[in-house]
Parts: sequence; C-alpha cells; structure tokens
Amino acid sequence: MAKSASPALLQGTLDLLILHALQRGEMHGYAIAQTIHVLSDEVLSVEEGSLYPALYRLELDGAISAHWGVSENNRKAKYYAITKRGRKLVSEQQETWSRLSLAVHRVLAR
Amino acid sequence: MRRFWLRLFRRRRLHQDLEAELAFHRDMAGEHSNPIPLGNTSVIKEQALDLWRFNFIENIGRDLAYAGRAMRRSPGFVVSALLSLGLGIGVNTAVFSLGVAFLLSEPSVTDAGSLVSIRMGGSSHVKPQAIEFLRKSGVFRDVAGENEETFINWNDGVETHRIFSVCTTKNYFTALGVPMAYGRGWTTDDPDPVVVLRYRFWRKHYNGDPSIVGRAINLDGRAYTVVGILPEAHRTLMGFGFSPDVYLPRYIDDTVLAIYARLQPGMTLGEARAALATVAQRLDASFPEHWKYARNCVVAPIAGFARLQQERELMTIGFFFAMLLVVVGLVLLIACVNVASLLLARASARRQEIAIRLSLGASRGRLLQQLLAESLLLSVVGAGFGFVLAQAVASLLASIQLPLPLPIRLQIEPDWRVAGYAAFLAVASTVASGLLPAWQSLKESIAPQLHRERRPRLRQVLVAAQITICVIVLTTGFLFLRNLLRSTAISPGFDVVRTLRAEVYLPPAKYQSSAPKLAYAEDALRSLAAIPGIESAAAARIIPFTDATRFGMDLTFADNGEMRPALFHWNAVSPDYFRVMDIPVLAGRSFSSEDRGEAKVVIVNRTFVEQYLGHRQPVGTAFQWAEDKTFYRIVGEVAGTKNLSIGEEDRPQLYQPLAQIRNDRPRLQFVLRSATPPATQLAAVRQVLRQVEPGAGIEVSTLYQSIGLAFLPSQVGALLLGSVGLLGLLLAVIGLYGVMSYSVARRTREIGVRVAIGAGRWEISRMVLIEASRLVIGGGAAGLFLAVFVTRPLATFFVAGLSPSDPASFAAVLLVLAAGGLLAALDPVRRALRIDPVRALRYE
Repeated sequence: MAKSASPALLQGTLDLLILHALQRGEMHGYAIAQTIHVLSDEVLSVEEGSLYPALYRLELDGAISAHWGVSENNRKAKYYAITKRGRKLVSEQQETWSRLSLAVHRVLAR
Repeated sequence: MRRFWLRLFRRRRLHQDLEAELAFHRDMAGEHSNPIPLGNTSVIKEQALDLWRFNFIENIGRDLAYAGRAMRRSPGFVVSALLSLGLGIGVNTAVFSLGVAFLLSEPSVTDAGSLVSIRMGGSSHVKPQAIEFLRKSGVFRDVAGENEETFINWNDGVETHRIFSVCTTKNYFTALGVPMAYGRGWTTDDPDPVVVLRYRFWRKHYNGDPSIVGRAINLDGRAYTVVGILPEAHRTLMGFGFSPDVYLPRYIDDTVLAIYARLQPGMTLGEARAALATVAQRLDASFPEHWKYARNCVVAPIAGFARLQQERELMTIGFFFAMLLVVVGLVLLIACVNVASLLLARASARRQEIAIRLSLGASRGRLLQQLLAESLLLSVVGAGFGFVLAQAVASLLASIQLPLPLPIRLQIEPDWRVAGYAAFLAVASTVASGLLPAWQSLKESIAPQLHRERRPRLRQVLVAAQITICVIVLTTGFLFLRNLLRSTAISPGFDVVRTLRAEVYLPPAKYQSSAPKLAYAEDALRSLAAIPGIESAAAARIIPFTDATRFGMDLTFADNGEMRPALFHWNAVSPDYFRVMDIPVLAGRSFSSEDRGEAKVVIVNRTFVEQYLGHRQPVGTAFQWAEDKTFYRIVGEVAGTKNLSIGEEDRPQLYQPLAQIRNDRPRLQFVLRSATPPATQLAAVRQVLRQVEPGAGIEVSTLYQSIGLAFLPSQVGALLLGSVGLLGLLLAVIGLYGVMSYSVARRTREIGVRVAIGAGRWEISRMVLIEASRLVIGGGAAGLFLAVFVTRPLATFFVAGLSPSDPASFAAVLLVLAAGGLLAALDPVRRALRIDPVRALRYE
C-alpha cells in the first residue's frame, strides 16, 4: 500500500504547532520537526523548507528566542525557546483552532 | 531604524548561522535514518533571509549590476533610451530651475524670514520722509528704502556711460545685512559720496581688482569712493534676476523708495500689519500734504510662495512657468512611452529567460523588481545626464540678454529644490517607462499562449497614447505660434519701422530745474533734425512699451462742474512727437512751440474721449485733473497707441507739452524719424547727442529693438513651445515607426500569402496605411478632444481675439500629424511591398 501523502498544513497552523512543541522546553529545529512528527502519530511531517522560515519569522515577532548551544551528540546547534509573548499567542491560537476544527468537523458530519 | 541597521550588520553572521543550522538538520536526519529532506536549500535561505529584509537591498545591488551588464550588450537601445530620457528630464529640470531662480530665489540678506516688504496707501514706493518716520517710530527693528530704477552717468576716463544704479537710504546695508565680497557696505557714519559695486560691473570694468576698494570713481561728474564689492552670487531684494551696476546712498529729492522693514524678534506678520496701520495714521497726521498712507497698507514677505501670492502679476508669471512645466512634462511622458516601447520589444526577447526563472521558483515580485531595476538604471543615468544638460541649458537661457528696460540676469545655481525635482523625475520616469513592460513580460511568461495577440495591442495603445499627448503639446505650440503671428500683425499704434530712440541721462548737478532740461531738449532736437536723412525729431518723457506712467485722477469739467474718476496713461512730449511716431491727429491740432507758459493744454486719445468726455466736443473741453487747480484745455484728439503690451486693449491716454511740465527727472528720451533704415543712423545720432552734452550718458537704438519686450512673451512662448511640440512629434513619429515596422515584420507570412493569391501593391500599401491611420486617427481624435479643454486656461497669454480653440491651429496640428504619420508609415510600407511571397512562405 502506498503511503498516503502527509496532509498539507493549513496556513498558520505550523506556527501554532511549533509554539506548542516548544512549550515542552527549548529544542533545536530538527527536534521541533521530530516532536511534531511524533506527536501527530507520524501523520504530519514538517519540511525544513517551511520550518526554518517559520522559525525566523517567529523569532522576529518575538514569540520565540534563539541561542546557540551544544546538542545531545556534542554538536553546535541553535536552540529555540518560547517567550512570554509566545505563550500568550499559543493560548489564543489554540482556542481559535479548537473552534475552527470543531466547526469543520460539524460541517463534515452532516 | 536602529534594528534595521543592526540586522544589516549582522547579515553575514546570520547567513552563516542559517547554513550551519540547515546542515545540522540534514545530519541529524541522516543519523536518525530519516529521509533527508529534498527541499531547495537556496529557496529556504532566500525565504528566511527575506524576513530580515536586507535581501531587498542586496537584490537591488545585484539587479542593478545585472541590468548594467544587459545594457552593455545593446548599446543602440541604451543610447536611444538615454537620449530620450536625458533630453526629457533635462528640459524639465531646466524649466524648473529657471522658474525657481526667477520666482522663488531668496535675496542675499541676513535672515530673510524676518524681512518684509511694505506698501502704504496702495503704493509700493513712498517718499523718503515717510520711511524715516517709520524707522523712528520704533515699530520695526529697522526700516530701509531703495529706488531700483535709477540711472547714473559713469565716466571711465574716456567716455560717459549710463549705468543702472540703485539708490538707497543710508542704513540700507546695516539694516539688511548684505554679505560683501570685498570691503563693506556703507554705514550712516560714511560721508555721502560712497558707492558699492556689483560683481559683474567690477569684473568687467575694473578687471576684478580688489584694490579698487578705497579708491574713487567718477559718477555724475563727482568722485565717489568705492567702499565695497558685492559677491558674484548676490541676489537683489527685487528678485527676478534684477542686476543693477552700482548702489548709492543718495536719492534725488522727490524720489520715492520701496520700503523694507526688519521685524522685531518674534513679531508675526499679523502684528506687523496692525502696527503699521496705526503708524500710517500718525504719518498721515504729520504730513497732511502727502498722499494718504493709511489706506491699503500691506506687509508681505520678501521671498518664496508667500510673496507670489501677494502680487497678481507674479501669479501670472508663475502660472506661465507652471504651464511650461506641464508641457515639457508631457514631452517627458512621450519619451517615457518610447522607452517603454523599447523595453517591451526587449522583454519579448527575454520571455524565455523569464519563464525559466519563474519555473525555478523566483517570485513575481522579485522578477518585477529586477525588470524595474533596468528602467531605474536608465532613468537615474538619464536624470544625471539631464541634470547636467539642464544646468547648461538654463545658464545659456539666463545669459541671453533680453531686450528689457532693466538689467536682468538670473543666478542659476543647482540647489536642493532642483536636484530634488530631477530625482523625482527619475523615479517618475522609472515607473512610467518600466512598470508596464515589466508587468507585461511577467504576464506573458505565465500564460505563454495568451500573449501572442496581446502584446502588439499594448504597444499600439501606447503609441496611440503618445499621439494623444503629442497632439496636446503641438496644439499649445501652434497656439503660441499663431499668437506670435497675430501680435506681430497688430499695430502698436505708432511706427516702429523707420524710427529710432535715444535715451539720455543728464548730469543732475548741471540740470536741476525744468528750464535747463527744456533748453537742452530744444538744443538737441535742433541738432538732431539737422542730421542728413533724419526727417523729424521729438522728445518725450515716456516711450511706449519701455516705460509707462498711469494716473488715476478725478477729472472736474469746467462746463458743468461734473466730476469723473479717470484712469489713463500719461506722457509729456515735444510738438513733433505725433509726426515722428506717425500717430494720426483726429481732431484739433498737435502741440506747437507756443504751448508753454500758463495756458495749460493737453491732447487726449480717442479712447479717453469716448470713456470720459461723454457728449462733449473734445477740442475746447477744459477740466481740472492734477493737484493744482488750473484748468487744462484739450487742443487735439489723436489715435491711441498701445502702452505696455501688444495684446492689451486700447486705454485712455493724455499728453502734455514737455514745456509745460515740471521736469524733475534727469532722464529724457528722443524719437527720430529717418528716411533711411534707422539702423544706419545710430552712430550719427550718438555723436550729435554727445556734442550737445558731453557729460550725459547716452543709449541709442532703433525703436523696434527697444520695444522688443512687448513681443517677448509670445516670442518666448512660440519658440519654446513650438520646439517642444516638434520634439514631442519627433518622439511620437519614432514610436509609430517602431510599431509599424514590428507589425509588418510580424505579418510577413500573411502578406506573402496575400501577394501569392494576387493582392496588388495598392492593396498591400493600403493594409499597412490603414493600420497606421487607425492609430493616428484614434490618438489624434483623443488628443484634439483633450486639447480643447487643456488649452483653455492659456487665453491669459494671448492677444485679444485669439481663442484657445483657434480652428487654424487645430487644423495645422492635424496636418502636421497626418504628415508625421505618413512619414512614419513610409518605410514599413516599403518593406511590406518588398516581401517576396516565395521566401516568406518557405519559412513554414
């Protein structure tokens, strides 16, 4: 059976997923992608092509902060951490998202 | 802003960071045996870095370099585009800088913002006592006066010349704070005979020798000590490029001076007006015999827009410059359209390149930016070229010695306003010439099948638009040409063909009262009339078009005591004036040598009779009009002359015999009628006048030369707008030619087929001509329609009777346009006829 293509992420949801992942603690880009992949039961896979622009954008917005650190395998890696502003964004967006998904669910159920 | 610069400097580090991060990501993926992402690293990098905004700047640099490289490969295109844009921007900037220098230049004084010009009693010039009164009142920090239009005789050791002087109050330089090149301005402590020289005068006659300061020069037969020399860039208070030769701290009695006042610190214009009104009332009380000052008091800034708004005539000149700017702006637009057309043709050649870049993931905005970079480069280089050109053109125009009664010399200096305008034009032409082609080429590349029919249509629309603009510009040019023809055809009311004019400035010390001046005039007239070839000679206070004195007075008639307000041009002339000038005497007689003494007589023109005399027979009517209470009897009625401009309506005129006026001015003019061409008599006249009074400054010219000013506006307008119109036509014809040639090339096969199935030469020519005429007629019709409205406000500049919708001008425009269109289509037709059906079809 051919592996079904991972569904395209809705515009804006990637930001929410990244922020949500970072609420578990600071991590580097690859770890963020893996976390999202695992948490979504391997349904969602984040391409680096969308991940890094999103990270840079969030950093510019002040939702996350970044610093260089050493990874678990002793390599230089850039670590991202969520900021106060980021946490506020998550809670706001989470609520919006729940309402949206519920609504979509309702529509499709009828 | 700080963050922006920080980002800019952190650029390189960020770049490395991103690269390291992506490498780390890939390695991690590899170690965890996850699929290595296949994303396009370059795109990711570009997107991420775009967020930090400096990509934008980096791209511009890269785009400009790329555009520069692309252009080096097509020098023909670059040269024609640069020439169009450079000429367009250059002409625009030149007109703008002339306008700025003429209307908005700031006089060379300290703190021009606190200096104001004052009018009292509706009059711009008042008696010196009034200025002294104002100064002593303490309302203003200081008050100074100047009389700009005076002459003085300067003797260079060999000959006497009449030069232009400005006479001022003694506190002039201290009150205004005028910067000096050498020496200093005079102060109230200086003795009277001191003089300040203008730079050009000093340069020309004293070879720019600074040691002249402290030495004496001979003015009006007296030694004046030079105390200072003004810098080259000195700008007079009067503005408009007015450049006298010398400044003197003196004035003849009874002269009037323009008033300039320095405001108290913090004083507003409103406060100044209120204060002036009360001082003027006290002034009226102190000088009951003077003109009433308290009415119509005006306090106006001395420079900038505020000054323009104060004076109606200045607004007209400003409007003229604005119109010129619009017209040359339209020509620039035509040039931009030409460049756009060229860019469109280039863009079609680059279609493939753009398509490839789009498919490789370049964004449309990014490509648009790159395509615009090319026209930006063109415009910026064009503007630079134009800016240099403008300086050359403007100083050339400014150095032309206009036939004006006053010395006018504009100081053209590139300043921020002019540079700003050139920069603005560069940006505007970038957008005008680049946006459409760039957008079009993007659209074509996205939908390759759709563009085939669209592109030619766009170019055709552009050419039609070009023709539209060209028609408007041409119409303006033709209207001014018609105006010139009309105004040359209008008679000024006197003979300008066989007449000469001599202007004499007598040494005031020797000729103080009226009697010696009159004796001199009669002496001179006798000698002048004796010159072989001179038929008659006359003296006059005023020669029309060079000068005018207008009086607004109440006439009180002797018969029934009726009083009428009247406004008329005044002159005082010797008996032969009407004969010399060929002004017909309609009733009564002209003046005679008997008209002197107490029985005051006047001659009036027909308009005066019609407007003010009512039912009365002109000859014999007597009225009071001057401040003295004597009655003046009309002895003759003459035809009218124009006074100030050729297009003006006939105005009432009043002449007095020169022998009956109190002649307080040392300036006298002669007119002479010559049997031979007047130019041949100039030297003889000069010599005779020199013999009569060696101490007098003398200027002799033909009358036609000296009234050239009257024709100036229509000449300048016709010349400038005519050539601008032709430039526009040339550009439009080039545009039309390009489109037609392209269209014929595109239809080669079609034409081949037509020829093969038997179409004759006539059918083929007709086909091409119809296409061309569609463009010309479409564009021309739109242009004519618009021109009818656009040219409406021009009526201000035209002689009476010439309507802006003058049918002859419009017909001429159509004719020229048709000829231009035919010219443009000629070569494409020839090429279409030469198409060989066999070869054309073999391409299939």
